[in-house]
Amino acid sequence: MTKSSMTQRVFRPPDEHWTPVSPRMASARRVSLVLAMAPFLIAIVVLAAVDIPRWIPLTLLGATIVVGVWAWWLIGRRVRSFGYAERADDLLVTSGIMFRRLVIVPYGRMQLVDVVSGPVDRKFGVATVQLHTAAATTDATIPGLLPQDAAALRDRLAARGEERTAGL
Amino acid sequence: MSEQDPGGPIANPEGEGHGHGLMTPMVPSEYVGRHLADVEGRRRVHPLTPLIHGLRIIPIVLLIGFSTANSFAKTGDARFLAGVLVVAVVLIAPITGLQYIAWKRLSYFFDSAGDLRIDSGVLQRHERRIQLSRLQAIDVVQPLAARLVGMAEVRIEVAGSTSKATLQFLTVGEATALRSEILARAAGVRHDAGEAPENVLVHVPAGDLVLSLALQAHVWFFLVVTILLVVVTVLSSGPAGLTLLLVAGGAPIFIVFSEFSKFFGFTLAESPDGLRLRHGLLQTAAQTVPPGRVQAVGFYEPLLWRRRGWVRVKINVAGVQGSDQGSGDRAYTESVLLPVAPWPVAIALVSRILPGVNLQALQWQSAPRRARWRSPWQWRCLAVAVNDSVFAVRGGWLERRTCLVPHARTQSLRVTQGPYQRVLGLASVHVDSTPGPVRITGHCRDANDARDLAEAQSDRARLARGAAPPARWLR
Repeated sequence: MTKSSMTQRVFRPPDEHWTPVSPRMASARRVSLVLAMAPFLIAIVVLAAVDIPRWIPLTLLGATIVVGVWAWWLIGRRVRSFGYAERADDLLVTSGIMFRRLVIVPYGRMQLVDVVSGPVDRKFGVATVQLHTAAATTDATIPGLLPQDAAALRDRLAARGEERTAGL
Repeated sequence: MSEQDPGGPIANPEGEGHGHGLMTPMVPSEYVGRHLADVEGRRRVHPLTPLIHGLRIIPIVLLIGFSTANSFAKTGDARFLAGVLVVAVVLIAPITGLQYIAWKRLSYFFDSAGDLRIDSGVLQRHERRIQLSRLQAIDVVQPLAARLVGMAEVRIEVAGSTSKATLQFLTVGEATALRSEILARAAGVRHDAGEAPENVLVHVPAGDLVLSLALQAHVWFFLVVTILLVVVTVLSSGPAGLTLLLVAGGAPIFIVFSEFSKFFGFTLAESPDGLRLRHGLLQTAAQTVPPGRVQAVGFYEPLLWRRRGWVRVKINVAGVQGSDQGSGDRAYTESVLLPVAPWPVAIALVSRILPGVNLQALQWQSAPRRARWRSPWQWRCLAVAVNDSVFAVRGGWLERRTCLVPHARTQSLRVTQGPYQRVLGLASVHVDSTPGPVRITGHCRDANDARDLAEAQSDRARLARGAAPPARWLR
């Protein structure tokens, strides 16, 4: 067995029914990326205008483009890496490429479920579902859901949480 | 245990005020006829309160005095002293005056629903209702200024509220009586039942505490830094700079002293309303950790403690934030259950506060040998263990830690893997607990087993949750 399929088996067990997130999230994240890189590009243009050796802004521009392209490509992979599976008693969330992560949240432990959507996300019609337990470290967020899917998931989770709720 | 015991004056609840058998007034009879109660059962905090608030300024006055002492030294002592006194009066008088008005407008009482009400505020009235059914913790704290005149404050923490309600100041006896009254009312038993009896479990001797501090590396680090600071100060600005260094608390050794002062006289007692922790040299604190609120336990062994078999015990408590996230006025930690104790004492204590938890028969499964490439120092110690009641992890190099969480207290589970761990075929398993100092992370497990470990723990947690009813305060 190759290493990657082994990782896949650990973090995305194939016998579960995994729901991927919407590819629209990749577009939203890429727009955010461009917005984040804009100040760098402006700074480079300003640098090019002042009287310094030509190679400095050129090198910076090259580096920015390389980082940008790499991040652009990474966003696509990262979005594909997200997935969640609703099981009988708990919710599985998997994510990450370099830093893999699998979170198991029992329905009985969920304290509240949030649906959040930032301005860029709203533009692309995606929303994020956040699960909270009494632990601050739980960190189970599912980004890139269509708003109606997010709302439906939230209601399903809340209902299951209600059924199985347990005290601390 | 000692003179610091804030529970002292009320130690025998059979004393005055509890003798009446026929009538059960809303207010325990010990308050009636004193300055605390009027006809409606409204009570006041102690009339000395404004003065205590004024006295808190004294350190600042002293600081100003010390820092200007050198320039005044030539002009004669009498005038200098007079000047300091004037400054003190000018600073203290208005504070005391304002606090007097605030004291006049502050009252508290128990309403018909049995909840505690605190009405306060001069310009803007603030009427606070504290739902006793949602009580999380209640502390009696004695800041230094209050302690000088035998006063204490009561801090009440309620679930779902970000800020604590504090009542400043009551005599120590009144504060303790109020605490037991609130606890009794929250439990639905007769509120004039008096202080619940307590059973002292552990007392940390001062000698052990001093030695335990001396055996920690950071203490020596602070000591060396302090010596360096003192030497540099004396060389650069002469002995005069030294006073400022000492008064302003610029010496890192004060960190060590504050740790000593915080844990001095540490006494842990068990009572029906929870675990009682009392400690402190300058500011004493009496905390009550409700039963069933302990979520996770960690044992910490610095290198030099091992030969003595000592360990520090920390806990995660639901609803109480750890000191690292708490507000600045919490000069004590509720997350330390025992500052130093021998292993057998710590084990016995933990099996007592987590009933039904069995700490024996832990079969430690070490991390695979290749973990040393990822964690070259602590890999020998890395291990996890599971028995029928707890999930435990072990780790650390110089300071060894053993952390455990009962199955029924497991929140969520995570399996994580970084790129380097992936190369080595390792993954970490985290059992999430409520916020606090104790983190339960099984580092560097074999990647193939990591998910099975997490899934098995998830199943155990579910079974344990089903078996145990949700823990509620005192019910």
